[in-house]
Amino acid sequence: MRKRAAAAAATASLSVLAIGWLVGTPAVASLQNTLGGSATDATVSAAASAPAVSTPTATATAPAVATATPTATATATPAAAAPAAGVTGTFTGSVVATRFGNMQVSVTIAAGTITDVTALQLTDKDSKSVQISNRAAPVLKAEVLKAQSAAVANVSGATYTTQGYLTSLQAALDAAGF
Amino acid sequence: MDAQTFETMGTVVSLRIGSTARGGAMRDGGLGDGGTRAVTEAAAPDAALAAVRTVFTRWDERFSLYRPDSEISRIARGDIRLTQASAELRDCYAIALDWRDRTDGVFTPHRADGVLDLSGVVKSLAIAEAGEALRGLGLSEWSVNAGGDLLVSGDQSPGQDWVAGIVDPASRHELLASVPLVAPVRAVATSGSAERGEHIWTSAGGGPSPYRQVSVIGLDIVTVDVLATTIIAGGEAALGRSIETFPIEVLAVLRDGSLVATAGLRSGQS
Repeated sequence: MRKRAAAAAATASLSVLAIGWLVGTPAVASLQNTLGGSATDATVSAAASAPAVSTPTATATAPAVATATPTATATATPAAAAPAAGVTGTFTGSVVATRFGNMQVSVTIAAGTITDVTALQLTDKDSKSVQISNRAAPVLKAEVLKAQSAAVANVSGATYTTQGYLTSLQAALDAAGF
Repeated sequence: MDAQTFETMGTVVSLRIGSTARGGAMRDGGLGDGGTRAVTEAAAPDAALAAVRTVFTRWDERFSLYRPDSEISRIARGDIRLTQASAELRDCYAIALDWRDRTDGVFTPHRADGVLDLSGVVKSLAIAEAGEALRGLGLSEWSVNAGGDLLVSGDQSPGQDWVAGIVDPASRHELLASVPLVAPVRAVATSGSAERGEHIWTSAGGGPSPYRQVSVIGLDIVTVDVLATTIIAGGEAALGRSIETFPIEVLAVLRDGSLVATAGLRSGQS
């Protein structure tokens, strides 16, 4: 029973992790990769971030996972000899409904520590969820849209004060009469 | 390009008249069949600046909490009641309350200390009205930039869209992005903590914003300005809800300097 409880706890915290993974900024890019057809290789190394044997109450911090049941399906039976606190194996979580669509993850645990999380399934409830996941992604500075900068006549920045204006790019543009 | 500036609302307004408008005036004069019109348009930059300045001055005089004699300051002191306020002020309050509802209460004109503060919508409403004043003068090619919040009309020059640069908060003389404003996209607003640290109140106990700077690009200046404020104050949830609800593009700079952008702001996807 302890073993099962540990697996359940792992899956519960996995659910929390999954939501964080999904909602978190690095997640959306991976999500896009997945949607873009590059299979299910969007993995997150979670070794550091997840106390694999945290208590099941962890689900309380993630209301979005209310539909997740802690009845994990073990696709790899934990080594029988492994002590419960040091469970090892790969576990598949239930399908979790999120605002981005349904998803399912598997987690690889080695000696009680999550070493890998893999998105196994990600279906979109409707076209909107695709749009959303497509529309707020992390980007590198080099990937941000840059029109011909020579044509920039106006600069948008956090509201500059009268004094701040004097040292702003906008002031330079204005002074140049561009 | 003619760039004219004046100070108001604690910041600086820059007005530009697109080169098509000015070139058109010269062509009319050259043809000799529109002398009066040529004079009118040639004088337009001055008239345009005066019209824009008039609009901003009126909004500032009524709504600035930095002016002890403004109507909003008299309400804050309890000299007059809201029900005794001018129709303009009550209309503005109604707009602010409408935006409170549309942002799930993240954006609000009710300051924590009980003071009614309409500055979250006043500047953008002034920009919008200035745009109407310019159209009233027959001008169709212009940009109005008030403290980094921008509304454009027409084109910058023939065949050239107005291009807005988004400043890099880590290096304020550099641009993170430059975005062509192709109709119907006409407005950009940026909020952040780079210069006016406390100008956006966060909800009690809400902690600091996860975003250092948020730029919103969209169809009208009031919407983009309110949503930039909302996303700064409301964080990731507000960002998600805003892009779900409104036709906008967002470029956000997180506290660690990393970027989040909607598809239209990624290169190769415009």
